[in-house]
Amino acid sequence: MPDALAVRHAAIPTSVTRVHRVLDAFASRDVNGEVLTAVHHIPAREAQWADFPAWINPELVSAYIAKGIRRLYTHQAAAVEAVHTGKNVVIVTPTASGKTLCYNLPVLNDVLENSDTRALYLFPTKALAQDQLAELHDLNQRLDDRFGVFTYDGDTPADARKAIREKGHVVLTNPDMLHTGILPHHTRWTRLFENLRYIVIDELHTYRGVFGSHLCNVLRRLRRIAHFYGRDPQFICCSATIANPGDLATRLLESEVEVLNSNGAPAAEKTFVFYNPPVVNRALGIRRSYINESSRVAQEFLKHDLQTMVFANSRLHTEILLTYLQQANPNLPGKPQTIRGYRGGYLPNERREIERGLRDGKIRGVVSTSALELGIDVGSLDTVVMAGYPGTIAATWQRAGRAGRRSGSSCAVLVASSSPLDQFIVRHPDYFFGNTPEHAFIQPDNLEILINHLKCAAFELPISPSDKFGDVDLPDLCARLAEAGFLHLAGDNYHWTHEAYPADTISLRSITSDNFIIIDLSGEPNVIAEIDFPSALVFVHEKAIYLHGGRQYHVEHLDFKERKAYVKQVDADYYTDAVRYTQVRVLEIAATSRGAESEFSSAISFSHGDVLVRSQVVGFKKIKFFTNENIGDGKLELPENEMHTTSYWITLERPLLDSLPFSVSERQSGMFGLLHALESVATLLLMCDRRDLGTAIGERPPDASVGQTFLSVRSSLDPSSSSDFSPTRMQDAVSANAKEFFEPNLYLFDAYPGGIGFSEPLFRTHALLMQKTRELISACTCEQGCPSCVGPAGDLAPRAKEAALAILDRLCA
Amino acid sequence: MSATADKFARLAALKPARPAPARPASLRAPGEEDALGRVLGAGVARNQFGEHLAVRNWFSTPEFVDPHPVSLGLLSRTRDELLSRRARAALADPTKWLFLDTETTGLAGGTGTYAFLIGLAWWDAGGLQIEQLVMRDFTEEYSLLYELSARIAARPVLVTFNGKSFDWPLLESRFTMTRSIAAPTLSSHLDLLHPARALWKFRLGSVRLVELERQVLDAPRLGWHRNDDVASALIPQYYFDYLRGGPVEPIAGIVRHNQMDLRGLAALFCKINGLLSETPSATNEMESLDLFGLSRFLQRRGEPERAHSACAQALNSGLPAEFRPKARRDLALMAKRRGEHARAAEIWQELVTDPQDGVYACEQLAIHYERHAEDLNRAAEFALLAVSKLRRQNGTSRDPYLAARSARQEQKFLHRLARLRHRMKIGTDVPEALAISRLAGELEAESLYRQR
Repeated sequence: MPDALAVRHAAIPTSVTRVHRVLDAFASRDVNGEVLTAVHHIPAREAQWADFPAWINPELVSAYIAKGIRRLYTHQAAAVEAVHTGKNVVIVTPTASGKTLCYNLPVLNDVLENSDTRALYLFPTKALAQDQLAELHDLNQRLDDRFGVFTYDGDTPADARKAIREKGHVVLTNPDMLHTGILPHHTRWTRLFENLRYIVIDELHTYRGVFGSHLCNVLRRLRRIAHFYGRDPQFICCSATIANPGDLATRLLESEVEVLNSNGAPAAEKTFVFYNPPVVNRALGIRRSYINESSRVAQEFLKHDLQTMVFANSRLHTEILLTYLQQANPNLPGKPQTIRGYRGGYLPNERREIERGLRDGKIRGVVSTSALELGIDVGSLDTVVMAGYPGTIAATWQRAGRAGRRSGSSCAVLVASSSPLDQFIVRHPDYFFGNTPEHAFIQPDNLEILINHLKCAAFELPISPSDKFGDVDLPDLCARLAEAGFLHLAGDNYHWTHEAYPADTISLRSITSDNFIIIDLSGEPNVIAEIDFPSALVFVHEKAIYLHGGRQYHVEHLDFKERKAYVKQVDADYYTDAVRYTQVRVLEIAATSRGAESEFSSAISFSHGDVLVRSQVVGFKKIKFFTNENIGDGKLELPENEMHTTSYWITLERPLLDSLPFSVSERQSGMFGLLHALESVATLLLMCDRRDLGTAIGERPPDASVGQTFLSVRSSLDPSSSSDFSPTRMQDAVSANAKEFFEPNLYLFDAYPGGIGFSEPLFRTHALLMQKTRELISACTCEQGCPSCVGPAGDLAPRAKEAALAILDRLCA
Repeated sequence: MSATADKFARLAALKPARPAPARPASLRAPGEEDALGRVLGAGVARNQFGEHLAVRNWFSTPEFVDPHPVSLGLLSRTRDELLSRRARAALADPTKWLFLDTETTGLAGGTGTYAFLIGLAWWDAGGLQIEQLVMRDFTEEYSLLYELSARIAARPVLVTFNGKSFDWPLLESRFTMTRSIAAPTLSSHLDLLHPARALWKFRLGSVRLVELERQVLDAPRLGWHRNDDVASALIPQYYFDYLRGGPVEPIAGIVRHNQMDLRGLAALFCKINGLLSETPSATNEMESLDLFGLSRFLQRRGEPERAHSACAQALNSGLPAEFRPKARRDLALMAKRRGEHARAAEIWQELVTDPQDGVYACEQLAIHYERHAEDLNRAAEFALLAVSKLRRQNGTSRDPYLAARSARQEQKFLHRLARLRHRMKIGTDVPEALAISRLAGELEAESLYRQR
């Protein structure tokens, strides 16, 4: 590997040499070749040019030329032409390829041709809208302020809002504001809606899972209102590279979309390095802390005066890394700090100052959460260090794209944590660099989401028989809402009959709006945090230690009715871990299939369908910090949580289990280990958060093998018996003396009521899921299992890893 | 039934009838099955958009009072409205007036909130004619709105209580939603909420209409009672219940409630009309706190002369102690604006010991003595007094914002002192002046030291 780096030394300018010198140093220290698991060179790419289309207003062309843009990249020209023909488009390009021009050019051209034209831009965050506002202002100045361009969000002062509604040709906002502030007040936006020609959705790939399902419904409402004002706007979307941008866009917009995914932008030479922290205890599979290693790597770059951006996956880690790096680079007295943090909680002005500092080079290093991953313009940096895998290939490329945006040379380093996902990625560079697709899924017809938006829609405009709302059966749903007292049928139309303003109670960023607030009673009662319902049962049950802002709080009382948790600050040397039991009951099988052709194919089946998940927190353990000793436990009596969702599951039948050369407890352990690994790989394939999936093992109902019905399942399981509940994890199973499963089902279910659309894709990619899981476990160098594959060795019976692999062998064969 | 009540009430009033504008079209009696129509004693009105219920009643109270031109001038003089000549003519003509109050399906606003009852009232035959338009279901909204737009076309001066921010925008939004009935243009809109708040907030705290009726309009004396009045918060639910086949009686309660609100609104106008007119009798009977409120209102609407006399009158008629410094301060500022500097200085002198306005009074006096009385020594004395007051304040307060503010103020006074010292050096060689200038110099040095 060092050779490969050395080759490049000769011809390249100084900063590159510096990048390579640091990488060489890493390589020379990596004696066993275990640390730098991949060094991937991405050669520089030439720009491909095209001229401005002839139909573009010459003034607009001169404005762009004055900005230094004399010609377009080929993909920009193609996008602009496609928009011109009136098609909905989705433009797929990497970071810094000039995608904003793809929508600004056609939109502004139209505004210049006809000053009535209106466009709505949607960005997932306020910060991105601000960034775009600056760009549009600059263009506008060059065109003698011919058009009105404004952001409209929660920060917009009330006295400016009226002018924006009247004069804004281009209004930049976010889905949340559209949902609560614009659509329910559309009569104030008559001017905009009557002339709405374009809707721009930037960072389309962020709208997946719950957020995407919500957005799809918000767009249904938007289109309905536009239609009311006689408009059918055209959509221009931009997305980072994901596997199915076209699918995602088609599902979100529910109409035909043309995908444009060529890229004519130039790119600089870049080196992408996977860095796996060295192992310190081989038997337990324990590695050096990836946070410390990330800080060390970043420090090396900073020492060589390379401008560096460090990404962490949580706010807490951002602060820790920032502390380390600031200590290592103390600022000179009287000089401003050269290492800064950047995350959601910072004030807008401070963020703008940091962005400026990064652009003009005064700030040498920045530690950020995903906040800087999206298209905020901070100029080009020399290196990017990622502390932990960002969770998806797309996000990783986005973050890596922060280094060397246009020219020069740069480097991105991914420092792996010991989570299975991270370990899988760094040990299978081909998976990552081979660009194996990741899909973004949404489920807009999730009943809970759908109903909530239908309420909003009825509030906005009475629902008439000719209305469309995706493909859903409107008359039926409206009749149900009327029965529940939300709507009232008058003539042919359903009208909203409730005092509440429905949009206020629905958050687009999560599915349930039912929250607990956490009140600190240490001094004056003070609300310190909010927590959603399912998490509340796990984190703020009575006697739990709740961690917040680096402090520990003891939960004194959980007021279930009032949705409040009362806590007091304490100084304890332990934390608590809830013991949760989950039971999954199959309600309806949507599809089922046999395993691959092999001697066991008759003993394996996998399915997906509707399930009922009941979970209950039954107790908790006290775990000592650092040593992770279990120093006590307690029982809890909390209400059961029930949800109807969708699931994918694998059924292991008796012949397969009998064929395994392991003891009963090893077999049990093997199944839990396998489930642990399956969950990790599934989140990888689904491009979702780990919390979006739940897992459970349960006995397959004896008479449910074929064409089972809801009733037969219900009768076969006695819901009152306690053995009905299965522990979520092996460690809980051991303590509960669970009896052996005869023919177990391994469930991976959507952790949202109603399901969010993961189960069917998992079912479809079953073979790939098995294969990748096997690769994950077999490539792990630990002996008996570790957090990176089947789970920590201490939780499992010996040989669990072998058992898991043996099961997988039979599943894959 | 309503028509006879109407006639009887008018006869009983025995007032000379004024020339009334054309009566609205007659109503049809509600059908047998129309429980709501029958309970309300309503008629069915019909137009090209359909039907709705209309409840008509005439009341002898409040009695018609001619709007006073001075009051009208004050009420219509708001920041964002410049009245055209036509609008001014309409405003001066009470037959062009329409009192309006709506009952809605919610308070949140937004396109999903409906006005299911639009209450209208106008002066007629010396009393108040009320007509309430009620929709029996959402299908009748267009016909309701169409009726409203016709009424506004005939009487384009709207008088409301909080209508500028609630009722009217909501109705405008309803008109937009029809896509077929244009929102009518108002020639002017008098919203009595703001004048009422200015006039009575010192005395009453809250200026809800019910509160004003009881405390200001003397409702019991007029024989007005809100027996079994509907709680506003329950109104939307009553209507929803009715829509789903619930009882109609609560809707009758809402209609009565709306009637009272409209009569209260008209009476409130008469009251405010009287107070704002220049007739001396109007202010003679006023309570001192209301006079102070009136003074503030007049100041804001650019009537310094009258504001001044109202303020002085308030102080003379036993304004409660806590408001006296405020009133004095107002008086002093008004005197200053009128160029009566000596008079202003006299009042400031009284305020020097006031804990709240003391520093401000010192500053005003320092300015006065420096610019108008040309007594630099006294000017410096007051500046010094202010500095010592500020320092004492700072010693006792722990509020960092307050501390920062008083530090800034202190700087201002120190600048003033420096300038005074400079002028004194040039102008005189009196030892007294030197003493002061030395003292000021020390203060300055000290503050520089403290800053470090």
